[in-house]
Amino acid sequence: MTAPLLAARGLEYVYPGGVVALCGLDLNVERGRKLAILGPNGSGKTTLLLHLNGTCRPTRGEIRLDGQPARYEHRALNHWRRRVGLVLQEPDDQLFAATVGQDVSFGPLNLGLSEAETAERVREALTALRVTHLADRPTHALSFGQKKRVAIAGVLAMRPEILVLDEPTAGLDPHGVTHLLGALQQLHEAGTTLVFSTHDVDLAYAWADQVAVFHEGTVLCQGETAAVLGNRDMLHRARLRPPLLLEVAEMLDAIQDRSRSIPRTREAVLALLRERLNEAAPTVPVEPALAHAWRGPSA
Amino acid sequence: MRAIDHHAWTNRWRDWHPAEKLLPASGLLVLTLLLPPLTIAPLVLAGTALATVRGAGVPLRALLGVLAAPAAFLLAGIPFLAVSVDFAQGFDLRLSSEGLRLALTTTLRALAAMSCLAFVVLTTPLTDWMASLRRIGVPAGVVELILLIYRLIFVFFERALTGHQTQTARLGHSRVDRSVRSLGLLAGNLFQRALAQARRLEIGLLARGYAGELRVLAPRPVLSRTRLVAGMGLVGLVGAASSLLARGFP
Repeated sequence: MTAPLLAARGLEYVYPGGVVALCGLDLNVERGRKLAILGPNGSGKTTLLLHLNGTCRPTRGEIRLDGQPARYEHRALNHWRRRVGLVLQEPDDQLFAATVGQDVSFGPLNLGLSEAETAERVREALTALRVTHLADRPTHALSFGQKKRVAIAGVLAMRPEILVLDEPTAGLDPHGVTHLLGALQQLHEAGTTLVFSTHDVDLAYAWADQVAVFHEGTVLCQGETAAVLGNRDMLHRARLRPPLLLEVAEMLDAIQDRSRSIPRTREAVLALLRERLNEAAPTVPVEPALAHAWRGPSA
Repeated sequence: MRAIDHHAWTNRWRDWHPAEKLLPASGLLVLTLLLPPLTIAPLVLAGTALATVRGAGVPLRALLGVLAAPAAFLLAGIPFLAVSVDFAQGFDLRLSSEGLRLALTTTLRALAAMSCLAFVVLTTPLTDWMASLRRIGVPAGVVELILLIYRLIFVFFERALTGHQTQTARLGHSRVDRSVRSLGLLAGNLFQRALAQARRLEIGLLARGYAGELRVLAPRPVLSRTRLVAGMGLVGLVGAASSLLARGFP
């Protein structure tokens, strides 16, 4: 078996004040995957992500890049951060330049690229996040969702192999989430390995292909999404609830055959529900009735 | 301040080379300071207002808004200039014509000078000056500091505003003494957040390969000689017109 692209082994980290953030944590980031780090807010997920690009140095244990223990001297760190791009949760913490285009050009210029190459990288990154029309806008005049995408573009312009995102969907409206996930999906299909932290079980279920459950400074369990999120005992220990779609799908499947693969998107679960309801009472027009029920008493 | 910034970014002359706006404005400023104010100041005021409103398309309200604050200070100063106090024969307070004239000329001159500055700030975003500052030899560290302050002012303005709103919602400003206390708390909170933000900004910059220099790819606007010459020509015209008018005045 080849070594994972990026791995944490026995990671321990104690804050200067003596609070233990990570205690003996193992994590594998495999090439070309979408890995969700799932855990409640304030549990130390950000601290873990800060280890993945060398911002924090573990008290004990190590980070491995391609199986080699990471080193923390200047040159090694530069090389590391070129490969692993980190996007912070709050875009205002990251955007510093006056205009969107200028901010995105910061990373490529630090890679030592020429101005022509940098301009090309900026164009490419803005296109990937679908924010080309914002290039000349001042950063402080953007909406939160726009700032978020620009912050990601700023890291993407360095063409990292691994993109690490801290709570990428936090604070976005449903449209903004769809938009952002669409852009990230394209990056993923183009070969970027994605790691993101979230407290949203449903998001991890719908979108990640691997999940690591983070609990009290350690990873309780890492594996394929369906297997990890189907493990009720473990989720209960981590104080997480199973994804809603999974629960609904399981209930529907419990009535009928168990041979089908479990649906993971909202559309797939709704289709299954429609199918089951039609089987139960074929004459009842299911959709209007459902729509009514969904709107509830306020409609 | 947000209004100024908004117009600076969105006006019709936004993409012009800063020098095309700065040099004529400086020309007018020099004329204002050198020539007799009664004739030059109205011409300069008219010229900058036309350029800002008609030329760059900035609303007149915005221009008046920028001039309002200094105008208020000037008005407050008028009585002190117009009224003369004489202690030679006891106490003599009088409104002298000389004093009135001084008040008028000073006010006009100051307003005209301010309008030159208003034209520049309303048509040119601060960041356009960064490249120029670097070129004329201002140390990179100073320019970067200006850039970061400019960027973060808006972040803190937002935080201060929301902080104030939530305090008001919890009756933190319902009495003067409460208001003082609340403002103190807000200021302390903003200070702590500023430090935390600076730390996170550094993490974000390091993640993008920051090595002590904030280099970005800034667009280089092309200097249009035609526009610059036309602008300076108009300044010359204003100067000439003012001199002609001055002959008519004693």
